[in-house]
Amino acid sequence: MTTMDKLFLFFASMRWQDVFDITLNSYILFRLYVLFRGTNVFRVLVGIAFLWFFQRIAVSLGFIVTSWVLQGITAAGAILIIVIFRNEIRSVLQAKNLKGILWGFPLRAGQAPIEIIVDTVYELARRHCGALLIFPGKEDFEDVVQSGIPWRGLISREMLLSIFWQDNPVHDGAAIIQGNRVEEVGVLLPLSQRKDFPSYYGTRHRAAAGLAETTDSLVILTSEERGNVVAARGSFIGVIDRKEELAQILHQHLGTTARETGHAKKERLEIWIAALASILLIGVVWFSFSRGLETLITLEIPIEYMNRDPGVEILDTSIDSVSLQLRGSGPLIKALRPEQVKVRLDLSDASLGLNTFSIGPENVSLPPGIFFKKVEPPVVEVTLDVPIEKVLPVQVDWTGKLPEGIRIVEARLDPAAVHVKGGKRMLENVSTIFTDAVPVEDIRKSDSMTVNLALTPAGLTIAPDSQDKVKVKYVVQGRQ
Amino acid sequence: MRLRITTLVFLLFVCLDLSFSAQIRSQENGTHTPPPAPGKLTLVAAVMCEKVDEYTPRNPGIVFSVNIGKISCFTSFDPVPEDTFIYHKWFYRDELTTRLKLSLKTPRWSTLSSIQLREADKGPWRVEVTDSDGNTLQTLRFSITD
Repeated sequence: MTTMDKLFLFFASMRWQDVFDITLNSYILFRLYVLFRGTNVFRVLVGIAFLWFFQRIAVSLGFIVTSWVLQGITAAGAILIIVIFRNEIRSVLQAKNLKGILWGFPLRAGQAPIEIIVDTVYELARRHCGALLIFPGKEDFEDVVQSGIPWRGLISREMLLSIFWQDNPVHDGAAIIQGNRVEEVGVLLPLSQRKDFPSYYGTRHRAAAGLAETTDSLVILTSEERGNVVAARGSFIGVIDRKEELAQILHQHLGTTARETGHAKKERLEIWIAALASILLIGVVWFSFSRGLETLITLEIPIEYMNRDPGVEILDTSIDSVSLQLRGSGPLIKALRPEQVKVRLDLSDASLGLNTFSIGPENVSLPPGIFFKKVEPPVVEVTLDVPIEKVLPVQVDWTGKLPEGIRIVEARLDPAAVHVKGGKRMLENVSTIFTDAVPVEDIRKSDSMTVNLALTPAGLTIAPDSQDKVKVKYVVQGRQ
Repeated sequence: MRLRITTLVFLLFVCLDLSFSAQIRSQENGTHTPPPAPGKLTLVAAVMCEKVDEYTPRNPGIVFSVNIGKISCFTSFDPVPEDTFIYHKWFYRDELTTRLKLSLKTPRWSTLSSIQLREADKGPWRVEVTDSDGNTLQTLRFSITD
């Protein structure tokens, strides 16, 4: 068989569920990459993935302590990532609507209308209207800023002018620009504590510098006093005199510049590689789980009975559990827990009395990737009966050898009869409840004793209003 | 096979016992004259015993050693209004082992049935005394022990 034949056979043996499984999980992995790339969360996730990988290697090489330590760090890291980066995760998920989470790409996200922004900013500067515009980077700044009022309006010249109009209650705060929308207005920013600022820098300048210093955001402000445009990013803060220069800064920050076409192409290529890598990774994981070396396992699984007529009881079964032989890939078999496997028998067609059922794959419920091989025994007998109550006389089961010269002539029982519960068909053949064996060797004179009842056949029970013991008062006489 | 032989031997003993009970009946009644007796059939005595001598049950009891070899169920009726019959049904652990039909003659009658004891007979027994219609007149419960 050629390699091509083998490859063809391999793909032919895949079920539609396998294809769906790989596709779905590849897409989930890919979306996680798209949503979190460039963030600290992503970097830590990659770190944890590497730790897990090294831990598996350590396990396979038999490094007990190393694998144990790595396992602990990985487990703790998974929890810590949620706790420490909860804000960053939330901002990623909150910033995008459902469509954005499931489908959108950062490249295709509503692009900021840079020309409108630039023109409006210089218009605001010309009018000596103070304004603060925040263009977030990758980092979360929710903990840094305060008092934002949700706006979520599409950017337009008029809207920006009206936000920073002096009579507008929110004009003193900053506006957060994301994509082609103004997300929030009236946002309060932290003030920079730098000492090297020129004396004419006011609160707005210090606020712009404060946010730029603590996050990777770009902040653009217009000076109310001087009527100029200032940009702040990182530790840089400076006047931008020309619109082209401001447009260039915005393009660079948002990754949309025409000159950056090469960068966009690179980014698109990166996403394609990520998509392929996701498929490849999930495919490898799927293959290792489902097509690894086949392993057999035998589990003792209790039988569950379904759809029993409520008026009928299971009186007896030939077996309580079956021995199931299952097959699957090593990792899946290793991870298999007995409670994941069910053996169920449908009693809806069963009749009163003895029923014989064959156990086959249709009776066995298995997790994905685990397959039925054999069951032992393949047949189970189930006796069904209608539960009834019956009053039955009690008889003492005397045993042993009576001492010479005496005989037991009478025994009075209290109670003389008991209520028992059991199957109707079973109780049809039972007319006496016997006591446990009562030895007679030590009996010398009339006396009394308390003895237990022996409930046979199995399945017979004493009704709640009856006792499971009887008092036996016996009379002894000499032999004639 | 072994069970079948055991059953045949048992039935043989039962047949012998029936002839034995008939013998007692004739001894008790002498020449049989059937005068009509008033009232209804009444069981006046029913006991399990080791043997019956002179129409009297000997060593009645409820526990018998298998070593005595044979036990009897003795029943006495007075009056017997008309010629009829009764049954002695022997049960070993709730399982009917034999049913014996015994004739009763007016005006009163005593009759018995017996079984030979074997090692396998150890355990709880009962004998149900029923009339010709199957009504239980009395149940005698006893055990065969070592």
